Amino acid sequence: MQRREKIAAEALYDMYSASLYGVIVRIVIHEELAEDVLQETFIKIWNSFNSYSAEKGRLFTWMVNIARNLSIDKVRSKDFRNQGKNQELENNVTFIDEQRNTVYNPELLGIRDMVANLKPEQKSILDLVYFKGYTHVEAAEELGIPLGTIKTRLRMAIQQLRKYFNE
Amino acid sequence: MEDVKAYIESGILELYVLGDISPEDKLQVEQMAAQYPDIKAELNDIAASMERYADEHAIEPAGQLRQKIMNSLLVNLGDDRNFIKQRRHTDEEEFEDDKIITLPQRTQFYKYAFAACLTLLLISIYGLVNLYSKLQDSNIQIAALQADKTRFANQVNLMDSQLDMYRDTSFKVLKLKGMPKSPGAAMVLAWSPVNKKVMVDVQSIKLPQHDQKHQYQLWALVKGKPMDMGVFDNPTGKDTAGVKEMKNVALADGFAVTLEPTGGSINPSLDHMVVIGQF
Repeated sequence: MQRREKIAAEALYDMYSASLYGVIVRIVIHEELAEDVLQETFIKIWNSFNSYSAEKGRLFTWMVNIARNLSIDKVRSKDFRNQGKNQELENNVTFIDEQRNTVYNPELLGIRDMVANLKPEQKSILDLVYFKGYTHVEAAEELGIPLGTIKTRLRMAIQQLRKYFNE
Repeated sequence: MEDVKAYIESGILELYVLGDISPEDKLQVEQMAAQYPDIKAELNDIAASMERYADEHAIEPAGQLRQKIMNSLLVNLGDDRNFIKQRRHTDEEEFEDDKIITLPQRTQFYKYAFAACLTLLLISIYGLVNLYSKLQDSNIQIAALQADKTRFANQVNLMDSQLDMYRDTSFKVLKLKGMPKSPGAAMVLAWSPVNKKVMVDVQSIKLPQHDQKHQYQLWALVKGKPMDMGVFDNPTGKDTAGVKEMKNVALADGFAVTLEPTGGSINPSLDHMVVIGQF
Protein backbone atom coordinates (compact mmCIF):
# COMPACT_ATOMS: atom_id res chain seq x y z
CA MET A 1 0.00 0.00 0.00
CA GLN A 2 2.74 2.44 0.99
CA ARG A 3 4.51 1.92 -2.33
CA ARG A 4 1.50 3.38 -4.05
CA GLU A 5 1.74 1.45 -7.19
CA LYS A 6 -0.98 1.26 -9.72
CA ILE A 7 -2.47 -1.91 -8.29
CA ALA A 8 -2.68 -0.38 -4.86
CA ALA A 9 -4.39 2.72 -6.19
CA GLU A 10 -6.93 0.63 -8.05
CA ALA A 11 -7.59 -1.56 -5.05
CA LEU A 12 -8.07 1.47 -2.85
CA TYR A 13 -10.47 3.00 -5.33
CA ASP A 14 -12.45 -0.19 -5.90
CA MET A 15 -12.78 -0.84 -2.19
CA TYR A 16 -13.76 2.59 -0.99
CA SER A 17 -14.93 4.82 -3.86
CA ALA A 18 -18.62 3.88 -3.56
CA SER A 19 -18.76 4.32 0.22
CA LEU A 20 -16.92 7.65 0.05
CA TYR A 21 -18.96 8.85 -2.90
CA GLY A 22 -22.15 8.00 -0.97
CA VAL A 23 -21.07 10.34 1.80
CA ILE A 24 -19.77 13.05 -0.56
CA VAL A 25 -22.81 13.16 -2.83
CA ARG A 26 -25.17 13.50 0.15
CA ILE A 27 -23.27 16.55 1.37
CA VAL A 28 -22.47 18.18 -1.96
CA ILE A 29 -25.66 17.00 -3.75
CA HIS A 30 -24.41 18.07 -7.17
CA GLU A 31 -23.11 15.04 -8.99
CA GLU A 32 -20.52 16.93 -11.01
CA LEU A 33 -19.12 18.68 -7.95
CA ALA A 34 -19.31 15.43 -5.97
CA GLU A 35 -17.16 13.76 -8.60
CA ASP A 36 -14.63 16.59 -8.28
CA VAL A 37 -14.61 16.16 -4.53
CA LEU A 38 -14.14 12.40 -4.85
CA GLN A 39 -11.12 13.04 -7.04
CA GLU A 40 -9.73 15.59 -4.61
CA THR A 41 -10.34 13.14 -1.78
CA PHE A 42 -8.38 10.36 -3.43
CA ILE A 43 -5.53 12.71 -4.31
CA LYS A 44 -5.37 13.91 -0.73
CA ILE A 45 -5.50 10.37 0.63
CA TRP A 46 -2.81 9.34 -1.82
CA ASN A 47 -0.48 12.22 -1.04
CA SER A 48 -0.85 12.15 2.74
CA PHE A 49 -0.81 8.40 3.12
CA ASN A 50 2.36 8.62 5.17
CA SER A 51 0.48 10.54 7.87
CA TYR A 52 -1.97 7.67 8.39
CA SER A 53 -1.07 5.09 10.98
CA ALA A 54 -3.11 2.02 11.78
CA GLU A 55 -2.74 2.71 15.48
CA LYS A 56 -4.90 5.81 15.25
CA GLY A 57 -7.90 3.88 14.01
CA ARG A 58 -9.53 2.33 11.00
CA LEU A 59 -8.39 3.36 7.54
CA PHE A 60 -11.94 4.07 6.39
CA THR A 61 -12.57 6.40 9.35
CA TRP A 62 -9.50 8.41 8.37
CA MET A 63 -10.55 8.49 4.71
CA VAL A 64 -14.19 9.34 5.30
CA ASN A 65 -13.15 12.25 7.49
CA ILE A 66 -10.99 13.59 4.64
CA ALA A 67 -13.91 13.15 2.25
CA ARG A 68 -16.34 14.85 4.62
CA ASN A 69 -14.02 17.80 5.27
CA LEU A 70 -13.42 18.35 1.54
CA SER A 71 -17.17 18.09 0.88
CA ILE A 72 -17.97 20.68 3.53
CA ASP A 73 -15.23 22.94 2.14
CA LYS A 74 -16.78 22.59 -1.29
CA VAL A 75 -20.29 23.38 -0.05
CA ARG A 76 -19.01 26.50 1.67
CA SER A 77 -16.83 27.58 -1.28
CA LYS A 78 -17.67 30.35 -3.73
CA ASP A 79 -17.56 27.73 -6.46
CA PHE A 80 -20.53 25.93 -4.99
CA ARG A 81 -22.60 29.02 -4.25
CA ASN A 82 -22.05 30.30 -7.79
CA GLN A 83 -23.23 26.99 -9.14
CA GLY A 84 -26.81 27.84 -8.18
CA LYS A 85 -26.66 31.42 -9.47
CA ASN A 86 -25.23 30.44 -12.82
CA GLN A 87 -28.14 28.24 -13.76
CA GLU A 88 -30.11 29.62 -16.66
CA LEU A 89 -33.68 30.51 -15.77
CA GLU A 90 -35.18 28.00 -18.19
CA ASN A 91 -33.09 25.23 -16.68
CA ASN A 92 -34.12 26.02 -13.17
CA VAL A 93 -37.09 23.70 -12.99
CA THR A 94 -35.18 20.64 -14.11
CA PHE A 95 -32.21 21.68 -12.00
CA ILE A 96 -34.30 21.82 -8.88
CA ASP A 97 -35.96 18.54 -9.78
CA GLU A 98 -32.57 16.94 -10.13
CA GLN A 99 -31.60 18.25 -6.74
CA ARG A 100 -34.74 16.86 -5.20
CA ASN A 101 -34.11 13.53 -6.84
CA THR A 102 -30.62 13.38 -5.43
CA VAL A 103 -31.87 14.12 -1.98
CA TYR A 104 -35.08 12.17 -1.83
CA ASN A 105 -34.64 9.28 -4.22
CA PRO A 106 -34.71 6.30 -1.85
CA GLU A 107 -32.78 4.13 -4.27
CA LEU A 108 -29.95 6.65 -4.50
CA LEU A 109 -29.75 6.86 -0.74
CA GLY A 110 -29.50 3.07 -0.64
CA ILE A 111 -31.87 2.84 2.31
CA ARG A 112 -32.54 -0.74 3.32
CA ASP A 113 -34.49 -2.67 5.91
CA MET A 114 -32.08 -1.82 8.65
CA VAL A 115 -33.28 1.75 8.59
CA ALA A 116 -36.40 0.47 10.22
CA ASN A 117 -34.33 -0.41 13.25
CA LEU A 118 -33.42 3.22 13.74
CA LYS A 119 -35.89 5.50 15.39
CA PRO A 120 -36.53 8.56 13.17
CA GLU A 121 -35.05 11.02 15.66
CA GLN A 122 -31.87 8.90 15.96
CA LYS A 123 -31.50 8.58 12.23
CA SER A 124 -32.08 12.25 11.54
CA ILE A 125 -29.31 13.27 13.92
CA LEU A 126 -26.91 10.62 12.66
CA ASP A 127 -27.57 11.59 9.04
CA LEU A 128 -27.25 15.29 9.77
CA VAL A 129 -23.81 14.74 11.20
CA TYR A 130 -22.64 11.91 8.99
CA PHE A 131 -24.17 12.80 5.66
CA LYS A 132 -24.92 16.49 5.87
CA GLY A 133 -21.69 17.71 7.35
CA TYR A 134 -23.29 19.25 10.42
CA THR A 135 -21.40 19.38 13.68
CA HIS A 136 -23.38 18.06 16.64
CA VAL A 137 -23.56 21.67 17.89
CA GLU A 138 -25.11 22.82 14.60
CA ALA A 139 -27.47 19.82 14.67
CA ALA A 140 -28.60 20.80 18.18
CA GLU A 141 -29.41 24.31 16.97
CA GLU A 142 -31.10 23.04 13.81
CA LEU A 143 -33.35 20.64 15.71
CA GLY A 144 -33.77 22.81 18.83
CA ILE A 145 -32.54 20.03 21.10
CA PRO A 146 -30.03 20.33 23.99
CA LEU A 147 -26.44 19.26 23.25
CA GLY A 148 -26.55 16.43 25.79
CA THR A 149 -29.63 14.95 24.15
CA ILE A 150 -27.94 15.17 20.76
CA LYS A 151 -24.95 13.28 22.06
CA THR A 152 -27.12 10.62 23.68
CA ARG A 153 -29.24 10.14 20.56
CA LEU A 154 -26.13 9.95 18.41
CA ARG A 155 -24.73 7.28 20.70
CA MET A 156 -28.01 5.39 20.75
CA ALA A 157 -28.24 5.45 16.98
CA ILE A 158 -24.77 4.07 16.60
CA GLN A 159 -25.43 1.46 19.30
CA GLN A 160 -28.46 0.40 17.30
CA LEU A 161 -26.35 0.11 14.18
CA ARG A 162 -23.80 -2.01 15.99
CA LYS A 163 -26.50 -4.32 17.21
CA TYR A 164 -27.92 -4.58 13.70
CA PHE A 165 -24.60 -5.26 12.04
CA ASN A 166 -23.54 -7.78 14.66
CA GLU A 167 -26.67 -9.86 14.33
CA MET B 1 -12.98 1.25 35.68
CA GLU B 2 -16.07 3.32 36.40
CA ASP B 3 -14.34 6.28 34.82
CA VAL B 4 -13.70 4.34 31.64
CA LYS B 5 -17.33 3.28 31.43
CA ALA B 6 -18.54 6.83 31.99
CA TYR B 7 -16.08 8.06 29.37
CA ILE B 8 -17.41 5.53 26.90
CA GLU B 9 -20.99 6.45 27.64
CA SER B 10 -20.37 10.19 27.39
CA GLY B 11 -20.67 9.86 23.59
CA ILE B 12 -17.29 11.46 22.92
CA LEU B 13 -16.03 8.33 21.16
CA GLU B 14 -18.86 8.59 18.63
CA LEU B 15 -18.02 12.23 17.98
CA TYR B 16 -14.36 11.20 17.60
CA VAL B 17 -15.25 8.66 14.92
CA LEU B 18 -17.50 11.20 13.18
CA GLY B 19 -14.62 13.67 13.14
CA ASP B 20 -16.79 16.15 15.01
CA ILE B 21 -14.34 16.90 17.79
CA SER B 22 -11.90 19.59 18.86
CA PRO B 23 -8.15 18.90 18.45
CA GLU B 24 -7.68 18.85 22.25
CA ASP B 25 -10.49 16.29 22.78
CA LYS B 26 -9.16 14.30 19.87
CA LEU B 27 -5.73 14.05 21.51
CA GLN B 28 -7.36 13.05 24.81
CA VAL B 29 -9.38 10.26 23.15
CA GLU B 30 -6.22 8.94 21.50
CA GLN B 31 -4.38 8.96 24.82
CA MET B 32 -7.26 7.18 26.57
CA ALA B 33 -7.47 4.61 23.78
CA ALA B 34 -3.75 3.93 24.08
CA GLN B 35 -4.16 3.51 27.83
CA TYR B 36 -7.40 1.49 28.05
CA PRO B 37 -7.99 -1.48 25.73
CA ASP B 38 -11.75 -1.23 26.43
CA ILE B 39 -11.87 2.23 24.96
CA LYS B 40 -9.80 1.14 21.99
CA ALA B 41 -12.16 -1.77 21.36
CA GLU B 42 -15.19 0.48 21.71
CA LEU B 43 -13.72 2.97 19.24
CA ASN B 44 -13.02 0.22 16.77
CA ASP B 45 -16.56 -1.08 17.11
CA ILE B 46 -18.07 2.33 16.50
CA ALA B 47 -15.81 2.95 13.52
CA ALA B 48 -16.63 -0.48 12.08
CA SER B 49 -20.36 0.22 12.41
CA MET B 50 -20.06 3.58 10.72
CA GLU B 51 -18.05 1.95 7.98
CA ARG B 52 -20.82 -0.58 7.49
CA TYR B 53 -23.38 2.22 7.59
CA ALA B 54 -21.51 4.11 4.87
CA ASP B 55 -21.24 0.84 2.99
CA GLU B 56 -25.02 0.46 3.12
CA HIS B 57 -25.35 3.96 1.70
CA ALA B 58 -22.67 3.49 -0.89
CA ILE B 59 -23.31 4.97 -4.33
CA GLU B 60 -21.28 3.74 -7.23
CA PRO B 61 -19.70 6.76 -8.95
CA ALA B 62 -19.82 7.05 -12.74
CA GLY B 63 -17.65 4.48 -14.52
CA GLN B 64 -15.41 6.88 -16.39
CA LEU B 65 -14.46 8.57 -13.12
CA ARG B 66 -12.33 5.59 -12.15
CA GLN B 67 -9.83 6.07 -14.99
CA LYS B 68 -9.79 9.83 -14.47
CA ILE B 69 -8.98 9.48 -10.78
CA MET B 70 -6.43 6.72 -11.43
CA ASN B 71 -4.65 9.01 -13.87
CA SER B 72 -4.66 11.91 -11.45
CA LEU B 73 -3.22 9.67 -8.73
CA LEU B 74 -0.51 8.10 -10.83
CA VAL B 75 0.46 11.22 -12.72
CA ASN B 76 0.07 12.88 -9.34
CA LEU B 77 -0.68 16.52 -9.80
CA GLY B 78 -0.44 17.07 -6.09
CA ASP B 79 3.12 16.95 -4.98
CA ASP B 80 6.25 16.42 -7.00
CA ARG B 81 8.35 15.40 -4.03
CA ASN B 82 5.97 12.58 -3.21
CA PHE B 83 5.92 11.64 -6.83
CA ILE B 84 9.66 11.16 -6.94
CA LYS B 85 9.69 9.32 -3.65
CA GLN B 86 7.00 6.86 -4.65
CA ARG B 87 8.14 6.14 -8.13
CA ARG B 88 11.27 4.20 -7.62
CA HIS B 89 12.00 2.65 -10.95
CA THR B 90 14.94 2.20 -13.22
CA ASP B 91 15.26 3.43 -16.79
CA GLU B 92 14.66 -0.04 -18.19
CA GLU B 93 11.30 -0.35 -16.46
CA GLU B 94 8.53 1.84 -17.80
CA PHE B 95 5.21 2.79 -16.28
CA GLU B 96 2.11 2.89 -18.41
CA ASP B 97 1.74 6.62 -17.91
CA ASP B 98 5.42 7.38 -18.32
CA LYS B 99 6.01 10.07 -20.79
CA ILE B 100 9.08 8.88 -22.63
CA ILE B 101 11.06 11.95 -23.50
CA THR B 102 14.27 11.54 -25.44
CA LEU B 103 14.77 15.30 -25.52
CA PRO B 104 17.53 15.43 -22.87
CA GLN B 105 19.87 13.47 -25.16
CA ARG B 106 19.09 15.80 -28.02
CA THR B 107 19.68 18.91 -25.97
CA GLN B 108 22.99 17.33 -24.97
CA PHE B 109 23.78 16.96 -28.65
CA TYR B 110 22.88 20.56 -29.37
CA LYS B 111 25.00 21.67 -26.46
CA TYR B 112 28.06 19.99 -27.96
CA ALA B 113 27.19 21.17 -31.46
CA PHE B 114 26.92 24.72 -30.19
CA ALA B 115 30.27 24.46 -28.43
CA ALA B 116 31.84 23.09 -31.60
CA CYS B 117 30.36 25.90 -33.69
CA LEU B 118 31.64 28.48 -31.24
CA THR B 119 35.12 26.98 -31.32
CA LEU B 120 35.11 26.98 -35.11
CA LEU B 121 33.94 30.57 -35.16
CA LEU B 122 36.75 31.65 -32.85
CA ILE B 123 39.34 29.79 -34.92
CA SER B 124 37.94 31.37 -38.10
CA ILE B 125 38.08 34.87 -36.61
CA TYR B 126 41.67 34.28 -35.49
CA GLY B 127 42.57 33.01 -38.99
CA LEU B 128 40.88 35.97 -40.66
CA VAL B 129 42.70 38.49 -38.48
CA ASN B 130 45.97 36.74 -39.26
CA LEU B 131 45.26 36.69 -42.99
CA TYR B 132 44.22 40.32 -42.95
CA SER B 133 47.48 41.48 -41.36
CA LYS B 134 49.44 39.39 -43.83
CA LEU B 135 47.43 40.92 -46.68
CA GLN B 136 48.23 44.40 -45.37
CA ASP B 137 51.95 43.54 -45.30
CA SER B 138 51.74 42.19 -48.83
CA ASN B 139 49.97 45.32 -50.07
CA ILE B 140 52.67 47.50 -48.55
CA GLN B 141 55.35 45.37 -50.20
CA ILE B 142 53.55 45.52 -53.54
CA ALA B 143 53.31 49.31 -53.31
CA ALA B 144 57.04 49.50 -52.53
CA LEU B 145 57.84 47.16 -55.43
CA GLN B 146 55.67 49.18 -57.78
CA ALA B 147 57.42 52.39 -56.74
CA ASP B 148 60.75 50.64 -57.36
CA LYS B 149 59.53 49.38 -60.71
CA THR B 150 58.40 52.85 -61.80
CA ARG B 151 61.74 54.29 -60.75
CA PHE B 152 63.61 51.63 -62.68
CA ALA B 153 61.37 52.05 -65.71
CA ASN B 154 62.01 55.81 -65.68
CA GLN B 155 65.71 55.21 -65.37
CA VAL B 156 65.64 52.72 -68.24
CA ASN B 157 63.74 55.23 -70.41
CA LEU B 158 66.30 57.89 -69.57
CA MET B 159 69.16 55.55 -70.36
CA ASP B 160 67.46 54.67 -73.63
CA SER B 161 67.16 58.30 -74.64
CA GLN B 162 70.83 58.81 -73.73
CA LEU B 163 71.80 55.76 -75.75
CA ASP B 164 69.71 57.09 -78.66
CA MET B 165 71.77 60.26 -78.46
CA TYR B 166 75.02 58.33 -78.82
CA ARG B 167 73.62 56.13 -81.59
CA ASP B 168 72.49 59.18 -83.54
CA THR B 169 75.47 59.94 -85.82
CA SER B 170 74.31 63.51 -86.42
CA PHE B 171 75.27 64.52 -82.84
CA LYS B 172 78.47 66.43 -82.46
CA VAL B 173 80.20 66.40 -79.10
CA LEU B 174 81.71 69.71 -77.97
CA LYS B 175 83.97 70.19 -74.97
CA LEU B 176 83.66 73.65 -73.38
CA LYS B 177 86.86 74.79 -71.66
CA GLY B 178 87.49 77.18 -68.80
CA MET B 179 88.32 80.87 -69.22
CA PRO B 180 91.39 82.49 -67.68
CA LYS B 181 89.26 83.46 -64.65
CA SER B 182 88.13 79.92 -64.10
CA PRO B 183 90.74 77.58 -65.57
CA GLY B 184 89.34 74.41 -63.85
CA ALA B 185 85.87 74.81 -65.30
CA ALA B 186 84.69 72.44 -68.03
CA MET B 187 81.57 70.76 -69.42
CA VAL B 188 80.50 68.62 -72.38
CA LEU B 189 77.47 69.06 -74.61
CA ALA B 190 76.15 67.34 -77.74
CA TRP B 191 74.43 69.11 -80.61
CA SER B 192 72.65 67.69 -83.57
CA PRO B 193 72.21 70.21 -86.37
CA VAL B 194 69.77 67.75 -88.04
CA ASN B 195 67.48 67.46 -85.01
CA LYS B 196 68.35 70.93 -83.72
CA LYS B 197 68.76 69.32 -80.29
CA VAL B 198 71.25 70.44 -77.68
CA MET B 199 71.98 68.13 -74.75
CA VAL B 200 74.19 69.01 -71.76
CA ASP B 201 76.04 66.08 -70.18
CA VAL B 202 75.15 66.85 -66.56
CA GLN B 203 77.76 64.42 -65.17
CA SER B 204 80.49 66.29 -66.96
CA ILE B 205 79.67 69.76 -65.54
CA LYS B 206 82.59 71.10 -63.53
CA LEU B 207 81.68 74.74 -62.86
CA PRO B 208 82.34 76.94 -59.81
CA GLN B 209 79.61 76.97 -57.16
CA HIS B 210 77.08 79.81 -57.42
CA ASP B 211 74.68 81.33 -54.88
CA GLN B 212 70.86 81.16 -54.78
CA LYS B 213 70.45 84.39 -56.74
CA HIS B 214 72.36 83.21 -59.81
CA GLN B 215 72.10 80.48 -62.45
CA TYR B 216 74.22 79.40 -65.33
CA GLN B 217 72.93 80.27 -68.80
CA LEU B 218 73.91 78.53 -72.04
CA TRP B 219 74.46 80.56 -75.16
CA ALA B 220 74.83 79.45 -78.77
CA LEU B 221 77.16 81.56 -80.93
CA VAL B 222 75.33 82.05 -84.19
CA LYS B 223 77.39 84.01 -86.74
CA GLY B 224 79.22 85.77 -83.92
CA LYS B 225 76.06 86.67 -81.95
CA PRO B 226 75.01 84.97 -78.67
CA MET B 227 71.63 83.24 -78.62
CA ASP B 228 69.84 82.15 -75.40
CA MET B 229 69.71 78.36 -74.95
CA GLY B 230 68.19 78.25 -71.47
CA VAL B 231 69.41 78.19 -67.87
CA PHE B 232 70.65 75.32 -65.71
CA ASP B 233 71.96 74.81 -62.18
CA ASN B 234 75.23 73.37 -61.04
CA PRO B 235 74.33 69.71 -60.46
CA THR B 236 73.91 68.72 -56.80
CA GLY B 237 74.71 65.26 -55.43
CA LYS B 238 71.04 64.21 -55.58
CA ASP B 239 70.75 64.84 -59.29
CA THR B 240 70.54 61.52 -61.12
CA ALA B 241 69.72 62.80 -64.58
CA GLY B 242 72.47 61.98 -67.05
CA VAL B 243 71.69 64.66 -69.63
CA LYS B 244 69.64 67.84 -69.79
CA GLU B 245 67.99 68.95 -72.99
CA MET B 246 68.30 72.65 -73.78
CA LYS B 247 66.56 74.86 -76.35
CA ASN B 248 66.82 73.98 -80.04
CA VAL B 249 69.18 75.54 -82.48
CA ALA B 250 69.94 74.68 -86.14
CA LEU B 251 73.06 76.68 -86.73
CA ALA B 252 75.89 77.36 -84.26
CA ASP B 253 79.58 78.15 -84.38
CA GLY B 254 80.12 77.44 -80.75
CA PHE B 255 78.63 77.48 -77.25
CA ALA B 256 79.39 79.39 -74.08
CA VAL B 257 78.12 79.55 -70.47
CA THR B 258 77.80 82.71 -68.37
CA LEU B 259 76.72 83.25 -64.79
CA GLU B 260 73.51 85.30 -64.79
CA PRO B 261 70.86 86.36 -62.24
CA THR B 262 68.27 83.63 -61.61
CA GLY B 263 65.94 83.23 -64.56
CA GLY B 264 68.58 84.26 -67.08
CA SER B 265 69.28 87.48 -69.05
CA ILE B 266 68.53 88.67 -72.56
CA ASN B 267 72.15 89.53 -73.26
CA PRO B 268 75.04 87.62 -71.80
CA SER B 269 77.28 89.24 -69.16
CA LEU B 270 80.53 88.50 -70.91
CA ASP B 271 82.50 89.35 -67.75
CA HIS B 272 81.00 86.33 -66.13
CA MET B 273 81.65 83.82 -68.85
CA VAL B 274 82.96 80.58 -67.33
CA VAL B 275 83.42 78.18 -70.26
CA ILE B 276 83.44 78.42 -74.03
CA GLY B 277 83.92 75.96 -76.92
CA GLN B 278 83.95 76.49 -80.70
CA PHE B 279 83.83 74.19 -83.72
